[in-house]
Amino acid sequence: MADVQTTNQSILVVGGGISGITTALEAAEAGYDVVLLEKNPYLGGRVTQLHQYFPKLCPPSCGLEINFKRLKANPRIRFFTMAEVAGISGKEGDYDVKVKISPRYVNEKCTGCGKCAEACTAEVDNPFNYGMDKIKAAYLPHGFAFPMRYVLDPSIVGTDDGKKCKDACQYDAIDLDMKETSFDLKAGAIVWATGWNPYDAAKVEYYGFGENKNVITNVMMERMASMNGPTGGKIVRPSDGKEIKNIAFIQCAGSRDENHLAYCSGICCVASLKQTRYIREQYPDCEVTVFFIDIRALDRLEDFYTMVKEDQKVKFIKSKIATITEDGATGNLVLEGENTNTGEQIKATFDMVVLATGMAPNSIKSVCSADVSCDEYGFIANDPAKAGIYGAGCARRPTDVASSVQDATSSALRAIQSIARR
Amino acid sequence: MAGNYDPSFAKEVFDNVDSGEEIKMCMQCGICAGSCPLRHEMDYPPRQIFTLIRAGRRDEVMNSKAIKLCTSCYRCKVRCPRGIPVIDVMHGLAHYGIKKGIIPRKGTAAFGGEFWKMIYNIGRIDEKTLPLKYNLLEGLVPGIKSTIEMAPMGIQMFLHHRMKLLPERKIKGIKELRKMLDKAKEMGKGGAN
Repeated sequence: MADVQTTNQSILVVGGGISGITTALEAAEAGYDVVLLEKNPYLGGRVTQLHQYFPKLCPPSCGLEINFKRLKANPRIRFFTMAEVAGISGKEGDYDVKVKISPRYVNEKCTGCGKCAEACTAEVDNPFNYGMDKIKAAYLPHGFAFPMRYVLDPSIVGTDDGKKCKDACQYDAIDLDMKETSFDLKAGAIVWATGWNPYDAAKVEYYGFGENKNVITNVMMERMASMNGPTGGKIVRPSDGKEIKNIAFIQCAGSRDENHLAYCSGICCVASLKQTRYIREQYPDCEVTVFFIDIRALDRLEDFYTMVKEDQKVKFIKSKIATITEDGATGNLVLEGENTNTGEQIKATFDMVVLATGMAPNSIKSVCSADVSCDEYGFIANDPAKAGIYGAGCARRPTDVASSVQDATSSALRAIQSIARR
Repeated sequence: MAGNYDPSFAKEVFDNVDSGEEIKMCMQCGICAGSCPLRHEMDYPPRQIFTLIRAGRRDEVMNSKAIKLCTSCYRCKVRCPRGIPVIDVMHGLAHYGIKKGIIPRKGTAAFGGEFWKMIYNIGRIDEKTLPLKYNLLEGLVPGIKSTIEMAPMGIQMFLHHRMKLLPERKIKGIKELRKMLDKAKEMGKGGAN
């Protein structure tokens, strides 16, 4: 890693999701040297885990592929996977950054042949599918992974399984002695594009996520609907694999709530509306009920809401559901709450419930000793008085993919200005 | 009902009811109504009470059963996404009603009175005498009848060591407790009536 030559003319982009990739590409294509860091073993971030974008319902892989192609073609971008920032110091035009690289145990000789996975017997929870299934401990994160290179789970290093994987590899690509490494970078500007985490639904204890098996979250639904998901794209009940007849969406599960995320993430309403399409496509007779406080489908996205409302099988009920109780025998879920339009008490049974959880930022605060402004929730505030470090995409505010890309482009310009100003 | 809209009642509540101003934060999500264990007994759940206040429907609010039914289980207060202390508001409204001479559920108010008196006298609740006193408020014959109806529960409580045969004794430090209760009353927060 010592061959990473950086100066105070370089731009550091932290986070290799759609925002980070966009920022890196826009800055590099304008003629600046960029280092891109990604924590996961692959680029693409949360977008790779989505089934379809709203409102066009097109697959995210297509836009990502174009970006990966641009990335490969651009010598000004150096990118690192399994890389995290351990510390940032300095000021605009002169930052020192400490980078930590976790061991992948697979080097660049890997061809993606998959012989190691065949040899490996140990299995681990699949993080790509939010733990809904298992994968071999020697794995390709997902079928479309970029870079197309396997990863070994640290749990098998030093075991028989690790040795089996090494022996199975014909290309000498497995290096069980790999250690965590670190190196230092210089940068003139930093774009923080670390994205978001789904809010932990288990914290909303009255919904029983984790205990009630058929209560899932919106991000899990994306994986379930996806061809490369745990069920091969078929949406079924997690408890028994049965087809669904009656499903509920609960909006604002832990959002707009001072006990959880006090803000509105702005995307979960349309994301749930989109997911009603996944269900209605697979199940022509399935009843869908959306429980909401307000449906926030803003601007042109309101057309999408109007389109979903025309579907007779999709009902909208204005209610913040208060309790979910599981029927032990059937795994069905009883939802209770107040219909705030009619004042009636609701008690209704569903096969499956999807919690629309919001976006929590991956904050910069814990690693940054340089001056940077964040709002009270940990999103970067892009305060003009504290130039040099900029947020992009969901690290700056919760938003959708299209807005993240716009925001990333503007962050690239800001970063370039930070360097040009000197 | 646009013609009946009257902001003066909301103002009255904000100014006079304990925690009354917190109502301003309500966004009408209804989780209080869905969480309340007594929701099926209430004429208006908390969310609707708050709306009625904003709409100036004084009579409906002050005469509602709901504001007297709260058992202080705290579910609504814990879950309220806007941090409204819903139970404080409900109790505040009940107190305000009593001050104004509106006692929609005489039984509840009387029970509260007896409860308070007993706490003031001995510092704890005597599970035998409190229901008896409360029942006798209905009159001698119906009082005895209600008490006999409750006997099976009393026997169970006795068997589970939740009730003694002898009268309960005063707690230690009853004088200090009374000072606290007097002070609470002085602040307008104490005394069930």
